[in-house]
Amino acid sequence: MTIIDLPSSAADQERSEARIATRIWQHAFASTEFKIGLVVFVVLLSAALLYPWLSDIDPTKMNIRAKLTPPVFMGEDWTWAHPLGTDQLGRDMLARTLVGLRYSLLIGVSTTVLMVMVGALIGLFAGYFGGWVDTVLMRLTDAQLSIPMIILAITILGVSRPTIPSIILVLGLAGWPVYARVMRSMVMAERKKEFVRGAMVLGATDLRIMFALILPLVLPPMMFVAVLDIARMMIFESVLGFLGLGVQPPTPTFGNIIADGRKYLLNAWWIATMPGIFLVVTLTSINLMGAALERARNTVYGGT
Amino acid sequence: MFVVRFLARRLFQGVIIVFLVSALIFTLLRVVPGDPVRLMAGGMAPEALIEQIATDMGLRDPIYVQFARYMSGVAQGDLGQSFVRPASGAALGGASFDDTTRSERAEVLTLIAETAPMTIQLALLAMIFALIIAIPIGIWAGLNPGRWPDRIALYLSSIFVSLPNFWLGIVLVLLLSVKLQLVPAIGYDGFAYTILPAFVLAIEIAPFIIRALSVSVASVMSQNFIAIAAVRGLTQTQIVFRHALKNSAVPLLNLLGVQFSMLLGGVLVIEFIFDYPGLGLLTINAVLQRDFPLIQGIAIVTAAAFVLINIFVDLIATVIDPRLDY
Repeated sequence: MTIIDLPSSAADQERSEARIATRIWQHAFASTEFKIGLVVFVVLLSAALLYPWLSDIDPTKMNIRAKLTPPVFMGEDWTWAHPLGTDQLGRDMLARTLVGLRYSLLIGVSTTVLMVMVGALIGLFAGYFGGWVDTVLMRLTDAQLSIPMIILAITILGVSRPTIPSIILVLGLAGWPVYARVMRSMVMAERKKEFVRGAMVLGATDLRIMFALILPLVLPPMMFVAVLDIARMMIFESVLGFLGLGVQPPTPTFGNIIADGRKYLLNAWWIATMPGIFLVVTLTSINLMGAALERARNTVYGGT
Repeated sequence: MFVVRFLARRLFQGVIIVFLVSALIFTLLRVVPGDPVRLMAGGMAPEALIEQIATDMGLRDPIYVQFARYMSGVAQGDLGQSFVRPASGAALGGASFDDTTRSERAEVLTLIAETAPMTIQLALLAMIFALIIAIPIGIWAGLNPGRWPDRIALYLSSIFVSLPNFWLGIVLVLLLSVKLQLVPAIGYDGFAYTILPAFVLAIEIAPFIIRALSVSVASVMSQNFIAIAAVRGLTQTQIVFRHALKNSAVPLLNLLGVQFSMLLGGVLVIEFIFDYPGLGLLTINAVLQRDFPLIQGIAIVTAAAFVLINIFVDLIATVIDPRLDY
């Protein structure tokens, strides 16, 4: 009887874990922070995605005659044609900001996904096998944690030409250690449970137990934490852009727009500040959702 | 005896970590494209001269030979010489390949030792600012979990972590230094120049302290001995300061250890924005100039600092809370 019971008990476990994920969502969704964050985020996301259909202004098109136009209501010769004004080459700031937002989100999300994947994989192996595998992997993690990841990132990107894939790769590979640690401790806890030992008795291979049984249980709670890292990675991307090590111009990104605008700070303050406000609002919306999810996660886990 | 064993074990682990970091950064710098000798000698130097300099400096040897030579130097406290920085003054690059004054290159260790105190001054002031901002908010939120002070703390920290340091730096320079002329900002000419960069750094650190404080204060306040303390006749203020804060100290210290690398990342960018002559600015310039020995030296020193800070944090934590055992 136990032989027949075992797989279903694993399935039960999975179901209850899925229920936990749903409960975390419900908890988070009930909070004001999450709703505010979600609404703001959806508005900004749709603006960034739909922009090409709503306007035909090219973010890289120069118009010297309209250069340094201030944003609406903010100076003498503002126009509705350029709600956020124009930069030193007459390029429309709103278009540039929205394109920048798109790259920022693209890099933020892909980097976080890569980071979680690498960290989860390393943590899974370390936590499951233990022993020398664990020791080696965790020493590697410690070593990586003690190099400030920004030094690593700017070193690699500074000596090679930065492209979108290389930025994602560098940031993703620099950020995995935290996930490896969290994953390892969760896997170690799961590994001791009965359904894992049962599966071993049944002759399931290690890889099958790791990826089919343990991973689906421990991955979802980690995803909630990862939301906050999307915002962190977006800041990182903008820092790289600001240092000239991000996506290269003429592609507008928050970092390179602000770095450009810094030179014109005294006579055209809006070039550096306006895109920054957009970035701050976007990040705040993501961080509010992330914080609400984290709290919900703590209450749900604390309550069970 | 316990302390000695603890220190011996942790220092041994630390040496391994620093060694791994050195190996990683050393290999990384050798496999990426780009010849630093070309930059050192100047664009006009003939190919033969470049090869000769590179061979003289041992840059054409296999990587493991170079690494062994480098590490034996590090073991004796010699981090090598900068590729591009002259020993005297701050003149950088531009000189021609046969300029004799270029032969005197700055010691990496000297460069780091000269800039580190500036960065430590910045980091300490930032830490003080961060504590001034975070302690009231964190305690207030921790005493009222789920209620509006807690909400305000959540919103505030969400906004703080969403402020990119370089953007905040630019905006504050524009408002406080240029428009209102309250504080000086760019460069360094006296202690006042540390205030604005330290404040920007503090805003970056504060949310983590607020969160750690509110969580630990909230969990301490819900424990039995707090209720008993009230029965013993201690006032609310006494309870908070004697029990809750003391119990929050350990998580806070651990946070300091873990967040050290984030702090350093912030320092890097903020020093660059404010042209503040510290370790961060040195690092960025080293990367932009492909000054390999300087990058390696900085990576090793920061990794060592990280290891030492974490050992120190754990040691202090056991003093504060004798129940802990490492």
